[in-house]
Amino acid sequence: MIIYVGPLVLGLLLGFIIGSRIKMNPESKINFDASVYLIFLIIAFIVAYFVGPFPYYLDTPFASGFVAAAVGIILGKLIFGRDRTPKKVEG
Amino acid sequence: MSTILKIFVFPAAMVIMCLGVLTILGGHITPGGGFQGGAMIAAGFIFCLIVYGLKESPFHLSHDFLAAIESIGALGYVFLGIAGLAFSGFYLYNLGVDIYSIVPVFIKNIFDYPDPTHAGIIPYLNFVVGLKVMVGLTAVVIAFMGFNEITNDSKEEAQETEWEIE
Repeated sequence: MIIYVGPLVLGLLLGFIIGSRIKMNPESKINFDASVYLIFLIIAFIVAYFVGPFPYYLDTPFASGFVAAAVGIILGKLIFGRDRTPKKVEG
Repeated sequence: MSTILKIFVFPAAMVIMCLGVLTILGGHITPGGGFQGGAMIAAGFIFCLIVYGLKESPFHLSHDFLAAIESIGALGYVFLGIAGLAFSGFYLYNLGVDIYSIVPVFIKNIFDYPDPTHAGIIPYLNFVVGLKVMVGLTAVVIAFMGFNEITNDSKEEAQETEWEIE
């Protein structure tokens, strides 16, 4: 198993940018808690395994860029993806 | 939208986005690249915008974010082009590959892409194009949804004033 740094770093960076924009609206009834992200990570590993070692074909048994992007999304959400602050109501 | 869609779409959109990232990462050796991958990521954003609406979408894309990423994408592309011009005399010269051996070795190492193909600046160009396309296509949909809301609000206001007159 060979790990190439290039796709891991770029995938993590792109995922991080996307994940940093996950900001729930506190006024909304829709709420996605930590379990959603855990399930997403598990599904991401499964999808990456079935995608196969794309695009290098011989490096790892799963798509390493896909997993890097999934981890990047969760990291971005944890670091920057805080909930939106509710707007102040003028009294 | 139905509850099933609202539960399903957010995780599905994230998986679609990861596939978009994978398309960008394989752009230099397989079909696909910056535009196609960026469009797939934008599809994930648009999927959420359509199902949850502009205000309740889990992905909050502010004007500043869209402007910043669009600028980073464009400037990154220009930077890579000008770097080629500065070190080799050719705009967008692939400094990481350097097929004519006209660039110092340390410059070649800086722009090298660490993978088995050593494709030079091509993956970086795919990356910046992907960023630009991602926010560009999403911004179009956000703008249309914003216009639609304004139009609906003004129609409702017009109907209310008609009733008041009657």
